[in-house]
Amino acid sequence: MVRHKAKVNREVCLSCGGCIAICNQDAIRMVEGKAYVNDSACIGCGICINFCPVGAIEKVDAV
Amino acid sequence: MKYDVVVVGGGPAGSVTARFAAEGGAKVLVIERRKEIGVPVLCGEGISKKIDSWGMLDSRNWISREMDGARIYSPNKTMVKLSAEKAGNETGYVIHRDLFDQELARKAMRAGAEYMMNTKAVGLIKEDGRIKGVKAMHFNEKLEIEADIVVGADGVESNVGKWAGIDTTLKPNDIESCLQYTLANVDCEDPFTDFFLGKKIAPGGYIWVFPKGKDVANVGIGVLGSLSRPGLAKKLLDDFIKSDPRLRKGQPLRVLAGAVPVSLPIKTVKDNLILVGDAARQVDPLTGGGLTHCLEVGKIAGEVIAEAVNEQNFSEEFLMKYERMWKERIGKKLERNYKVKELMLDLDDKTLDKFADSLKDYNFDEFSTKGLIKALVKKHPSLFAKLIPLVKG
Repeated sequence: MVRHKAKVNREVCLSCGGCIAICNQDAIRMVEGKAYVNDSACIGCGICINFCPVGAIEKVDAV
Repeated sequence: MKYDVVVVGGGPAGSVTARFAAEGGAKVLVIERRKEIGVPVLCGEGISKKIDSWGMLDSRNWISREMDGARIYSPNKTMVKLSAEKAGNETGYVIHRDLFDQELARKAMRAGAEYMMNTKAVGLIKEDGRIKGVKAMHFNEKLEIEADIVVGADGVESNVGKWAGIDTTLKPNDIESCLQYTLANVDCEDPFTDFFLGKKIAPGGYIWVFPKGKDVANVGIGVLGSLSRPGLAKKLLDDFIKSDPRLRKGQPLRVLAGAVPVSLPIKTVKDNLILVGDAARQVDPLTGGGLTHCLEVGKIAGEVIAEAVNEQNFSEEFLMKYERMWKERIGKKLERNYKVKELMLDLDDKTLDKFADSLKDYNFDEFSTKGLIKALVKKHPSLFAKLIPLVKG
């Protein structure tokens, strides 16, 4: 079964922190000034992906 | 390092809290993750003139332009105007948020508060479950800052609240997805803050045009998280700018993304801990405005903290005085406007047009969202029946 994870494109992210506030798994942090998703905590719900004002978060297949 | 109080975050709520705690005799440290107070500017930069009477800012350099009023546009562009001559004289300013924040920080520094920049809180120091301070990174140096009270003024993400065990996660219908430009080469003659409503314009939010000068404006959008799609805020704002004759030729001096909590109040106090500002969700859920609240609430927090330090009592029970006082001051308004926010979500564009039409020549007796809600209740009593008790008095 392929599971999905959220992944932040660092080039697009404007560091607003909205994804961090909305993530109910506490899976996102600021790392070196940009949002970063912790793969092992992400459940692939996609809430952060829809929220991002600039579309900086993508759905990727979990490895 | 040992302080009475460590404030995490040097925005308006953090600096005002620091100032009044320091004025009351507390030894205060503010740590700020950014490299400059007030930068980047995460804000629409509008504020009510009522702050003048609070006497918290001496200089006037943070005022970009004085407003004559506000105009609200329904989806079909019917305009409802709240102007100074109609509603007393209390309108607002469009401000330079960077200078505004710096003025508040200078006041805190003058009162004796210390600041450390480029300093990121990474956790709380706890002993037997009790909060004893903050772990931080200052440049590449690890710090343990001991303090009797930790203030979480760390904005919408509020790590401090989470670390203390307060559930600060915002549901998608309690947070706005925002994008904002400062646009030059625009044509904003009129000193009015403009708000544009509609499901196609900004679902669950609005687009604002706040003129900082005749040729510069802060233009932004908020879209409710539950109605947002990837990149929707940017797309809708870009489309709007292209469609508006005043803004079409505008060029960006800056672009910023933001997130604004539009939730009900949360728990803001624990043993040795206080939350203020966006971290405490002290934002008007209807307008997304929080600046005036930061000033009001920060003063209360600072004064209660100074008392706690004098009495060496840092228990939740003692600090609850802060929560009671801030709720007394703005709690009713936040709860009322949360209900209005929810009610607005059910309205389609046609109904909004109808409301705007019914209010377009209305004489508002109050320049505020309360004044607007009162007028709506008066014009459409059956639709807004559940709001009637909320706007009495």
